Amino acid sequence: MDPITFSIIRHRLFRIVDEAVITLKHVSGSAITNEGHDLMVSLYRADGSLLMGGVGFLHHLTSAAEACKATIRRFGEDINEGDVFLLNDPYTAALHTSDIYLVAPIHHRGELVAWSACFVHVYDIGATNPGGFCPDAPDIFTEGFSSPGIRLVSGGRVNQDVMDTLLNMVRSPEMVALDMSSMIACNNVARERMLALIDKYGHATVDEACRTLIGQSETLLRERLRELPDGSWKSRQYIDVQGEVFKVNLTMTKRDDSLVFDFSGSSPQAPYAINCTKWASLGGLFAPLFPLLCFDITWNEGVVRPIEMIAPEGSIVNCTRPAPVSVATVGAIQSVNNAACAAIGKMLDASEKYASEATAVWHANHFAVFMFGRNQYGGEAIGILTETFAGSGGARNFADGIDVGGEIPNPISRMANVETLETIFPLRYLFRRRMRDSGGPGRYRGGAGMEIGLTPHDAPDGGLHYVVSGKGADFPMSDGLAGGYPGAPNSYVWVKNNEADADERNADAAFGQSVDDLPGEQERISWGVFPLMGEDVLYLRWNGGGGFGDPLDREPGSVLEDCRAGVVSREIAASVYGVAVDEDLAGFDAEATAARRKALSAQRLPAEAAE
Amino acid sequence: MNGGKTYVIATDVGGTCTDTVVFAAGEPVHIGKALSTPPDFENGVLDSIRSAADSMGVGLEDLLSRTGLFTHGSTVVDNALLTRDGARTGLITTEGFEDTLLVTRGAYGRWAGLAEEGLKHPVKTDRAPPLVPAARIRGVPERVDYKGAVIRELDEDSAEAAIRHLVEAMGVEAIAVCFLWSCYNPDHERRVRDIAAAAAPGAYVTISSDIAPVPGEYERTSTTVINAYAGRIAYDYVTELEALLADRGYGGPLLVMQGYGGLLPAEEASRRAVGMIECGPAAGVIGARFLGAAMGDPDVIAADMGGTTFKVGVIQGGELEFAREPLVDRYHYVAPKIEVVSIGAGGGSIVSLEPRTNVPRVGPKSAGARPGPVCYGLGGMDPTLTDVMTLIGYMDPDIFLGGAMRLDVDAARAAFEAKIAQPMGMGVDEAAFGIFRVAAAQIADLIHEITVERGLDPRDFVLHAFGGSCPLLAGVFGQELSVKRIVVPYTAAVNCAFGLVSADVVHEFAHTTTRPVPTPADEINAIFAPMAERARDQLAGEGFADGDIALQWSADLRYRRQVHEVTTPVRAATPLDEAGLETLVSDFEALYERKYGKGSAYRGAGIEMTMFRLSARGRMTRPEIPVEPLAGEDAGAAHRGRRDVFVEAEGGLAPADIYDFQALAPGNLVAGPAVIHTPITTIVVQAAQTARMDAYRNIVIAFD
Repeated sequence: MDPITFSIIRHRLFRIVDEAVITLKHVSGSAITNEGHDLMVSLYRADGSLLMGGVGFLHHLTSAAEACKATIRRFGEDINEGDVFLLNDPYTAALHTSDIYLVAPIHHRGELVAWSACFVHVYDIGATNPGGFCPDAPDIFTEGFSSPGIRLVSGGRVNQDVMDTLLNMVRSPEMVALDMSSMIACNNVARERMLALIDKYGHATVDEACRTLIGQSETLLRERLRELPDGSWKSRQYIDVQGEVFKVNLTMTKRDDSLVFDFSGSSPQAPYAINCTKWASLGGLFAPLFPLLCFDITWNEGVVRPIEMIAPEGSIVNCTRPAPVSVATVGAIQSVNNAACAAIGKMLDASEKYASEATAVWHANHFAVFMFGRNQYGGEAIGILTETFAGSGGARNFADGIDVGGEIPNPISRMANVETLETIFPLRYLFRRRMRDSGGPGRYRGGAGMEIGLTPHDAPDGGLHYVVSGKGADFPMSDGLAGGYPGAPNSYVWVKNNEADADERNADAAFGQSVDDLPGEQERISWGVFPLMGEDVLYLRWNGGGGFGDPLDREPGSVLEDCRAGVVSREIAASVYGVAVDEDLAGFDAEATAARRKALSAQRLPAEAAE
Repeated sequence: MNGGKTYVIATDVGGTCTDTVVFAAGEPVHIGKALSTPPDFENGVLDSIRSAADSMGVGLEDLLSRTGLFTHGSTVVDNALLTRDGARTGLITTEGFEDTLLVTRGAYGRWAGLAEEGLKHPVKTDRAPPLVPAARIRGVPERVDYKGAVIRELDEDSAEAAIRHLVEAMGVEAIAVCFLWSCYNPDHERRVRDIAAAAAPGAYVTISSDIAPVPGEYERTSTTVINAYAGRIAYDYVTELEALLADRGYGGPLLVMQGYGGLLPAEEASRRAVGMIECGPAAGVIGARFLGAAMGDPDVIAADMGGTTFKVGVIQGGELEFAREPLVDRYHYVAPKIEVVSIGAGGGSIVSLEPRTNVPRVGPKSAGARPGPVCYGLGGMDPTLTDVMTLIGYMDPDIFLGGAMRLDVDAARAAFEAKIAQPMGMGVDEAAFGIFRVAAAQIADLIHEITVERGLDPRDFVLHAFGGSCPLLAGVFGQELSVKRIVVPYTAAVNCAFGLVSADVVHEFAHTTTRPVPTPADEINAIFAPMAERARDQLAGEGFADGDIALQWSADLRYRRQVHEVTTPVRAATPLDEAGLETLVSDFEALYERKYGKGSAYRGAGIEMTMFRLSARGRMTRPEIPVEPLAGEDAGAAHRGRRDVFVEAEGGLAPADIYDFQALAPGNLVAGPAVIHTPITTIVVQAAQTARMDAYRNIVIAFD
């Protein structure tokens, strides 16, 4: 096709997604959508296949495609101009019930020509726990409202009975109504702009451009795959819940121009809500695949075609109804993200041409704490601590990971300011800083994670409660690459200052600068609903990114700089990096460092090999 | 304020050129241009004024001694940040929050400002290196809560130790201080400033509650750091320029442009480095507003396209939009700043093909001024948008820049053919038309997006096309956007300098505190009263009579539990009564719905006011834009023959009438397709468009 028209139409398709994202953020006005960018908007072909994926949470791109296809299967000929369908059943297409899809057909002169789809994490979904994450849900039935497809808007008019029924099942219906309005408005903008594009260039031309775009993506990815070495790469993720351990096992095989992700060997589905359905696993592997292998390729159906997934039925990555899945996005899906990132990283690192694209795992472990209770103004407050979006970068083949640099599956994440969070919740932060020694050691260090301490402040009920569905407290999850170590694990500590005797406290307890400063009994927690009352403190620490290469190969000067910046301790400098940093951080002892590194190296090998 | 002297001079220092306009009643507008001279920008300023003086046939000293007012905008602060040429800076924070600057609200500081290519490629992205590294950041014990209550006293000994450490051990020259919630209670920061004055009298100190008293500690910290980092440079620049001008005979005040589009007296401006960021583009938007007002157009899209970037600002109902999340280089800051969005598309933007797919793209790489486009013959090998303009017949190779440079069309053709046309399998003409259409479409997409972002419709706007490259493309993208009409202003080449003379002195005040709706009007008035008093005193001190002082109150309102705040002007009489306050709230609701869409408001949780702003304006006497009598429509006297050029509606070359701008008279009418050559740019009138020179010598393009 004419490359000029093609270039113009492609650019406009991307901008359409952009404009729809702006609309979504504008109308919703919610913190999770605006501050956290927990959102996604994409365009789809008439058959529901992905046409133009936007940035946002990328594991939704293929799942929303399946939502369009499921809608086509369910409603068949009864899909009309101006309709909008809601779908949030994970066994049909969604990731979990609180990430609602609104998918809308786009008709041109009466003919179905495309779909738009978007999601936000709605304020509440009427599940057992406020906010939608239900660590103790025994099944999908307790995870809130769930629809395999329902018509929310008919011919441009909201079906008020449907909307009211939905809003009748959730907490804070006004906030959920706003989430719904934002998604309807977003789809409207996508439709109007898409139709304007078709009006200008004609349906046949736009259709040809779309087909060309998809074909081009497929060709480009297949070419890239052919340039990469054939082989199989393995990675494994362990998810610890309440003392039990579950496994996501991946063997990724590249042959010629296709790639197979085989999750055989993963644990059977869990009694906990960490499971995910097969559409979620598929989305989970694509989330890192898009930015790692397709950074210069349009994200669409063409990228999907060369990829195959094997996910055994009844396993943690392809659970069967009615297994609970509300924690999936930070459970099995995130482990699929991580496993795929690790396997792809290994493959890239084996290629001379693409080695500089290789990265260790970023932000392997959302801590996803949902706060709920009454705020300082007497109103209801339900919401996620947006620090969960402040992951850290994995080390790369050419550079350190980025401290608190985000995550791969959502390239535009961010967290709110302390001064925002302290007005949303009746809380006070004791500290929020990078976590020392959290970045995975390596020749290139993984980016540092963070630690925060929170205590109630001006809470009318004396405090709040929170839902925590944390994993990765027992095992690190952000794998290193090429000999790099993983990032440090997460930690969740309930400090019961409230119960400490007055004479055991020191004057500054309320301004403790580390978890060790805080008096009172400390309990390590990770799963369930807990109180944060009186002078309790919730201490959270989250993982750094994985390291790259052998830490004994790291420039000693870089280790010294890390010590000065406070992200690596002298102890780890010595014990892991083998660098003897001066006590006053003025420099390091080169001779002692060489000796130490030699000794550490020798310890790793059997005596005869070390000779 | 011009003390009875004849002239008003405005000089704008941009990245490449320093532009001057000189106004006097009854005289045409005089224009001067010179190259900018970083890092000693003041030399370029004098060169530029001298250039204007030359064109008037007077000496520099002579002109300056007859000048009553000098207004100025400069890129000096932007340049200091871009070249990392600022002071060695340290930072003092609340203990426990030392990393706020470094972690940039997570990935936000990594991806903000990236184009699609960067956003999709996280492995190859990084933050900009922080202006203050971790080793020069110290936390001190203190804490204020969200209400402004002190819940932990400042540890003064610790603060002094931190300052001494930074200055004595770390060798810092400037110190930024930012504590949590200092926007509600600045006491601790002020005490640290006083301690620093005693312990480190040589250090340049900025406290956040002075420079950016708004909630949001990351952006506030970053702003404070920027101000400390560039503070001394801004101060030295402004004071040296003042001395230099005085030395050459100038006896009037020096007023300096701010990013929010108002002028400040030199003394105040020299202490607010962040205020000068992007003040040139802001002045450009102010100029467009002034011209729009003169022409009866309150709704204007101001588009400026030079060699490297395309910049666009929006004026609606005569009001300007402030940027929500401003960035300088890749650093966030928070200061009232006119929203000007830019993309890397200019005349020097390199045209290339995507490897493997051969899909063409324009920019973001630029050939700059050197080596520049291939047709300049200065060694540029990569075809640029300007080369494309040459190939499609828009440039006259013999009269480029008034004949100062001859364009090498053959070289442009050869490079374009080898690198673009052949690989695409197209003829040179066809490929060149295509690239032109791609560039116009990308600009249309950008403008559409930024108007949608504001809840606006481009069809309600007049498009002003500034800069050397914009008038070549405006006929096409303006038509696609269906704007009302296109104006190529007479002063298009020195638009930012023109904006400087149409600005007022404006002091911005803000008080951050939260009040529910309803709150008694008296309580709101009590918040404004001290600001109003300060504002009046200040403007009176600067020589403004009561009648020239205007105070505009406004407040930021939001729906509780939603994040968007909307700055809502107070329309009612001030001080407010209860009815006036109600009007404010209903205005907010209307603005909110207009901007964020129908049904976006959730009133159930209530409304609150989060910030109270006062904009204090000292009205400057506007220079008169000379108005000329209209001649007839016949443009025959300016007609310079016909030549084949690309006509969009024809999809190819078609004969067009060629005109000489300088021979056109006000009132003349030109029917498209036509090309009007001016000494600094080329205006292309597409088919089914007409261009008319108005009484200000602007070219106004209308669609049939």
